[in-house]
Amino acid sequence: MSTFTLNNLCYSYGSRQRDVISNLNYVFEDSKVYSIIGKSGAGKTTLLSLLSGLVKPTKGSILYDGNDISKMDPYRYRSNYVGVIFQSFNLLPHLTAIENVVLSMDISGKKITGKKEKAQMLLNSVGLDDATAHRRILKLSGGEQQRVAIARTLSYEPSVILADEPTGNLDGETQTGIINIFQDLAHKEGKCVILVTHSPYVAQMSDMVYELAVKKD
Amino acid sequence: MYLLKNALKSISRAKTRNILIVIIASIITISACIALSIRQSAETAREASIDQMKITAQISVDRQAMLKSVQSGDRTNVLRNIQGISLEEMLSYAKSGNVDDFYYTLTSSLNSDEATVPVDTSEVTESTEDLNTQFEGMGPGGSRRGFAGMGNQGDFTVVGYSSHNAMSTFMDGTCKVIEGSVFAEDTKEPDCLISDELALLNDLTVGDTITLINPNDEEETVVMKINGIYHNSEAAMSSGGDMMGFNAASDPANRIYTSYTALRAVVDNSEANAVVEVDETTGREISTALRGQEAGTYVLADATAYDAFQKDAEDLGLDTSIYAITSPDLDDYEQSMIPLERLSSYAAYFLLIVLIIGGAILVIFQVFAIRERKYEIGVLAAIGMNKRKVAAQFIAEVFIVTFIAIIIGTGTGSVISVPVANRLLQDQVQAVEVSQQTTMNNFGGGFEGRIPGGAGFLQGRMDGSGDADYISSISANVDIVVLLQLLFIGILLTLVSSASAIVSILRYDPLKILSNRS
Repeated sequence: MSTFTLNNLCYSYGSRQRDVISNLNYVFEDSKVYSIIGKSGAGKTTLLSLLSGLVKPTKGSILYDGNDISKMDPYRYRSNYVGVIFQSFNLLPHLTAIENVVLSMDISGKKITGKKEKAQMLLNSVGLDDATAHRRILKLSGGEQQRVAIARTLSYEPSVILADEPTGNLDGETQTGIINIFQDLAHKEGKCVILVTHSPYVAQMSDMVYELAVKKD
Repeated sequence: MYLLKNALKSISRAKTRNILIVIIASIITISACIALSIRQSAETAREASIDQMKITAQISVDRQAMLKSVQSGDRTNVLRNIQGISLEEMLSYAKSGNVDDFYYTLTSSLNSDEATVPVDTSEVTESTEDLNTQFEGMGPGGSRRGFAGMGNQGDFTVVGYSSHNAMSTFMDGTCKVIEGSVFAEDTKEPDCLISDELALLNDLTVGDTITLINPNDEEETVVMKINGIYHNSEAAMSSGGDMMGFNAASDPANRIYTSYTALRAVVDNSEANAVVEVDETTGREISTALRGQEAGTYVLADATAYDAFQKDAEDLGLDTSIYAITSPDLDDYEQSMIPLERLSSYAAYFLLIVLIIGGAILVIFQVFAIRERKYEIGVLAAIGMNKRKVAAQFIAEVFIVTFIAIIIGTGTGSVISVPVANRLLQDQVQAVEVSQQTTMNNFGGGFEGRIPGGAGFLQGRMDGSGDADYISSISANVDIVVLLQLLFIGILLTLVSSASAIVSILRYDPLKILSNRS
């Protein structure tokens, strides 16, 4: 079943600027891990921003389960249907790891019982122990923050996981661990996982790879 | 719920900033609390005073209105021919349904015989006859009908009352009969009350008689029997710097009180036996009759009845281009309220300034706070928190901090508002008294004009001493009205200081914030 359908998707920064993304017609289905690769400036992160509803297409449309996401409430869409793992994690530094995860559950508005316990369990599942879960974000390493960001995304059970360079800050062993988590999310839990990456290893581990080319004037 | 939880977390996170905001907002609240308490107390005092007050009113000639209504060349003649309102006319207006009571007085001026010495502090050794002031319709009512024609002023002011209720100085306790008793209300006998000073000076006691002489006719005498001796508590206090230093009749100790009927009989008898001559120079008639001036006092239930009476009197035929209804009680009341009204007015300005400055400081604080928390706003919006909810969280934070400040400020303000308000009020009373005393001294102590008060001018009726009964103490309590006003101010400050934050939050693009951060 298709989760995302891109119809002639175009995007440019400003009306006189060239298109960063031009006439994309991709389809993303659930239960699969997708990698979007391409050189810097090809529009990988822009595509991720479009899919997460942070920006709106200048032309064309993105359908999520058949609905045009530009016509959906962007906040509800982001807090319920898609989980975004940002390249710089975008965690709240004054909160602990567990508080960051609980906050996402709160924002989603979903009725989730035992939020703290669930957050703890998710953090454990991405390889963070209880002590780390109660540390403030600023006290965590890049890899630990990456895991917190993943746990935060999983907390409200979105059907789509969008991740920007999810393994960029990780060592080889941790990288494999994270990729395994994404594969499990897609293959065991039926989620659509879309990864933006430069890593040939991540691309190789994905079910499908889309390559974006740099547009020339 | 999580908004509140997040707000509380954010407050505890930025302790220093929030403590500073609490201090600033507390100072604003304390200032607002004091200012509002003063205004509320002023309002309460105003209402309480006016509710409790029994208003008296008089009808007198409105000389200013009369003079304005005629050509400048005719004004002297108009002034000479001013006719005071007659007792019959006054009685006709007393029929108004709004009048609770009506009483009247007759005032005359007589000299003493050689056996009785007036209380005289003027230090003038010449005969008072040489210094006599000639009356020419210049009584309080501007009445010419009473002191009609030119006449000499005597050493004693004799006042005849139609009712004991008309004896206001006895009613309010300024004067008190200390020996004997008051004369009967409707007695025709010339029984009188004299002051204790006059009695002491002349070795007079109850039952003695005093002989008074018509200052216009030395052959005409009136013998009055002393029925009682009174003490005037203000006579001693007011013996400095007023008009009594110029003539004996102005001295309260030389006031002799009797019944209206008795004095009326004396004046009527004098008029019946008077000799009238024509002055060759002016061509005007000069009578040797004893002059008498009548004045009526209407008692009204309250200020509303006073207003209604003014209309009733006009309907009953009172010519308002000649006569005016005035109320010394209302004037005194307004006079007594001057310091409090001034303080209340200052309090309003002070409150406004505090709110503007305090509000500006809080706005600046919030602008910096928002800039500092831009990344947090970006993250919250990026993970799906509606910007309106983000704004609501910020408002909640400001409100919680402001609410804490309101509690602290109200508590402190309610404790210090009474002493501070009373201290400020006393300063105001002192300032007004100094100003009025200066005015009084400038006028030789007998000033009856306009006394500066508040934003404009209020008619200030000053007695001989220049003292006015000012409200100099208030119970500036923080009541429910003040609490609600403070809460309103708190909400207002919250909204004003949050407004910049709300605008910023709604304008922020989360992707831009996060991209810049990256």
